[in-house]
Amino acid sequence: MAFTRINNKMVSAQIVPGQRVLSQRGSMLGYTGEVTFQPNLMGGQGGVMSMIGRRVANEDTPLMTVEGHGTVMFGHGGHHVHVIDLVGDTLYVEADRLLAFEGSLQQSTMFMGQQGGLMGVVRGQVTGQGLFTTQLSGKGAVAVMAHGGVVELPISPGLPVHVDPQAYVAHRGQVTNKLSSALGWRDMIGRGSGEAFQLELSGQGMVYVQASEVKL
Amino acid sequence: MAQFRLQGSKVLAVDLAGDTVKARNGSMVAYTGQMGFKKLSGGGDGLRGMVTRRLTGERMEVMEVKGQGTCFFADQATEINLVRLNGETLFVESDNLLCTEATLRTGTSFTGLNGMASGNGLFTTKVEGQGWAAVTSRGPAVILRVAQGLPLRVDPGAYVAHTGNLNRALKSGAGWTTLIGEGGGEAMQVEFTGEGLVYVQPSERLTFGGDA
Repeated sequence: MAFTRINNKMVSAQIVPGQRVLSQRGSMLGYTGEVTFQPNLMGGQGGVMSMIGRRVANEDTPLMTVEGHGTVMFGHGGHHVHVIDLVGDTLYVEADRLLAFEGSLQQSTMFMGQQGGLMGVVRGQVTGQGLFTTQLSGKGAVAVMAHGGVVELPISPGLPVHVDPQAYVAHRGQVTNKLSSALGWRDMIGRGSGEAFQLELSGQGMVYVQASEVKL
Repeated sequence: MAQFRLQGSKVLAVDLAGDTVKARNGSMVAYTGQMGFKKLSGGGDGLRGMVTRRLTGERMEVMEVKGQGTCFFADQATEINLVRLNGETLFVESDNLLCTEATLRTGTSFTGLNGMASGNGLFTTKVEGQGWAAVTSRGPAVILRVAQGLPLRVDPGAYVAHTGNLNRALKSGAGWTTLIGEGGGEAMQVEFTGEGLVYVQPSERLTFGGDA
């Protein structure tokens, strides 16, 4: 467990030699000990091809590598921070919601079109989330940001969860997501209920939802 | 019977079993089960209510949520207060009303000139009947009791809602210092007298009184 909650908007990380932490650039609030911050030109892990992949996919949040020996505090923009422990499973999260994660995790970019084909592409465009999302897998902890705190909703077979795309933060597990639209004639004439598009998540896993409809 | 419960302090979870709730347009963040969303024109008070709301400026974009399962509502990370009504009336600013049970009636009520001067508008939203209502506030609201002989004065920008038999009147704390621009920023207050409860948020909306 690399991250310790200080309050609901700050976390601290124990840095020991040989274990790196990657964090969003500029999100360090304070530190003790001997710690260095290296800007990560690659924007993450996985070599030059991954870097190009991220540039193309516009999932290239500036990251920095934190190394050394000491304790570092992280926080950003007054947003609530939620720590998620991964035990060999995969977390899907928007790059700009990532505050920090352990270097032991594998980072990669996933094309949304892989899930749901054409509808996946439409989904990314409509919801403003883009066509790509960041994928973290392995063993380690991730700190994600959300406006107004996070509610965890379990997804189980036969019990899908529908989420407002703006309130969606992240999800983990064996989950397929697709855009479901409840567009009707009311929306066409401007009398919509404001809930025309929803993300439908089904399978087995967990979805993280924030208490606000403000995108980061 | 819709069940209202809080998931944390900022998310409202409503369990529905085929029944209906009214909620602010677009405030759903997630749901499980089957849900349908339908916009109610003009705040859902019927044609007369719609005209009244247009005229009074207490406009509310309301949708009707009907279905089976659990629906989660939240609004801009504001805190949510649950209010149980047993036949009494809740007065609330339309901006602060998040969700009500379908059994509750909503309408507008005239607050008089004091509303106008305080920047809250001439009218406020009235909720009455039996059931649950969810009221939002910026920061956790404090509930202050007003009793006979114990009037309460509230900053109009921090006022959220009230229940009970209360009279509201605008009080001015403005003196000659206010006129020369040296006011304390508390030129206007709303005074509540009678018996009831007032919900006050730890944050102030921009009001005319706050500028003076």
